[in-house]
Amino acid sequence: MRKWKAAFVCASGALGLIVAVAVHSQQPTSQKSRRSANTGSSQENSITLPQYPAEITPGPNMEVFSKDCLVCHSARYVSMQPRFPKSVWQSEVKKMIDAYGAVIPEGDQPLIVDYLVAVKGIETPAATPTK
Amino acid sequence: MSDALWVTHIFRWWGGAVGNANQELTYMRGRRRFLSTLISVGGFAALSPTLGYTLDLSIAPDLGAPPAESRARELARYPQKTELILLTDRPPQLETPLNYFRTDLTPNDAFFVRWHLSGIPTTVDLQTFRLEVGGRVSKPLSLSLSDLQSKFEAVSVVALAQCAGNSRSLFEPRVPGGQWGNGAMGNARWKGVRLKDVLDAAGVMSSALQVGLRGLDVPPLPKTPRFEKSLAIDHARDGEVMIAYEINGAPLPMLNGFPIRLVVPGWYATYWVKSLSSVTVLDQPLKTFWMDKAYRIADNADANEEPQHLAPVTVPIGQMSVHSIFVSPDPDESLHAGQRYQLAGVATDGVAGIRRVELSKDGGQTWSDATLGSDLGKYSWRLWQAQWTPPEKGTYRLMVRATNNAGETQRTSQWNRSGYQRDVIEHLDVVVL
Repeated sequence: MRKWKAAFVCASGALGLIVAVAVHSQQPTSQKSRRSANTGSSQENSITLPQYPAEITPGPNMEVFSKDCLVCHSARYVSMQPRFPKSVWQSEVKKMIDAYGAVIPEGDQPLIVDYLVAVKGIETPAATPTK
Repeated sequence: MSDALWVTHIFRWWGGAVGNANQELTYMRGRRRFLSTLISVGGFAALSPTLGYTLDLSIAPDLGAPPAESRARELARYPQKTELILLTDRPPQLETPLNYFRTDLTPNDAFFVRWHLSGIPTTVDLQTFRLEVGGRVSKPLSLSLSDLQSKFEAVSVVALAQCAGNSRSLFEPRVPGGQWGNGAMGNARWKGVRLKDVLDAAGVMSSALQVGLRGLDVPPLPKTPRFEKSLAIDHARDGEVMIAYEINGAPLPMLNGFPIRLVVPGWYATYWVKSLSSVTVLDQPLKTFWMDKAYRIADNADANEEPQHLAPVTVPIGQMSVHSIFVSPDPDESLHAGQRYQLAGVATDGVAGIRRVELSKDGGQTWSDATLGSDLGKYSWRLWQAQWTPPEKGTYRLMVRATNNAGETQRTSQWNRSGYQRDVIEHLDVVVL
């Protein structure tokens, strides 16, 4: 079998639901996609965003990463990155909290860093003197 | 890995090629690792009840040695857009494949997409949409699209829109952020009205210092800073900054900022606020993450720094700098000695316009002029091309460098922590058979 497909839909997290409702409430009701909308006499342009299910790399604390991070962005924000040392991932998590207002319990933060290091980490260049 | 090999590797990756022979190998390696990890994790079923999304592992996850860069980049088709390179789906970041960079104007449906926050506008009703102009003005305005089209003089300009982080994935050491190849830009003819005319109609007070600019996009969380940018009042009133309602003769695609977006000719696209909904005249500098923390560069002549010696002071990014890239040959293309090829690409600049593009086929030892494409004005990019017949078999390092009408050219090395303002001389290692 060439393709491994394990797709399963799970109950939405409460926070995700709130966000979805918040975003939807700002939009007019029509969700109909009209590719050539806003030409001619049409007064409304509307698109429906396609679903490109994100590829979530399995790793330790994957469920913590999913719960705390995917509220705001898809897992591709991680999967598109090259590998980085732990210090970079620590600062990225900190940035999400301090700058972007991510709601991440303190105890979860090192768990998320561990996940990111596991899936996209790299050894910090060795500081040992050359022989 | 040597620099040359590394660069070749990167070019292979961002060239947009899909489905070469290595992909299958990478896929199989990834899958085998995936299977072993799956067993060690203890099964997905235990995790699944806590997840609020669909998990689709039809693409082998990146778990080990083969870097993501070695895989074909996934394509995606969004509404009103053609197939583009998918960086992220939520919020969408879509990169233009290089094969669209062979014409002066980039097709609307191939124009790159970059949103910051997941609450992006998907429906706009022109009967209710208004651009609010307020703050330190004598007469606040609430303008519909038809107000803009009927009450102000229409102007048009050809201008390059380029993400500040375009080409970020080429920086070494790598930096976090949207891992763009060279396709986070596009050249278009924009039509709209002068921001100056709209501000004049509102009556800017003498205390004005800046304008704050917002679009319809909203943050996903209460504490996420809403996307907004500011321009100095003199810049906003220079008569060049435009509120555009057309791109290449058509309404803006929704994902490119329908119904109106700011066009700031010569400046990086971070200022080109999409789905522009408010212009606020300020007598204090705008305090926002998007000016104070993000989109900043080192405060020195070259906007350059070193990983171990970050610049102590940063400033908001502004004008685009001189850069040039290869579009052809394709990095995966095999060339043959004695055959004639057309080398081609684009040269980009900020506010002066491109006057010269030079090529080297020997790693920078000798240079010759390329033929320039149409001159569509100082804010436009410029296509270039040159004929080349590789004399014999071997590896050639092709290089390209541009010079603008102000005499500014490109540099030989560059790095900054955010991967902004790429303007180093690019090279492409090609194998001639």
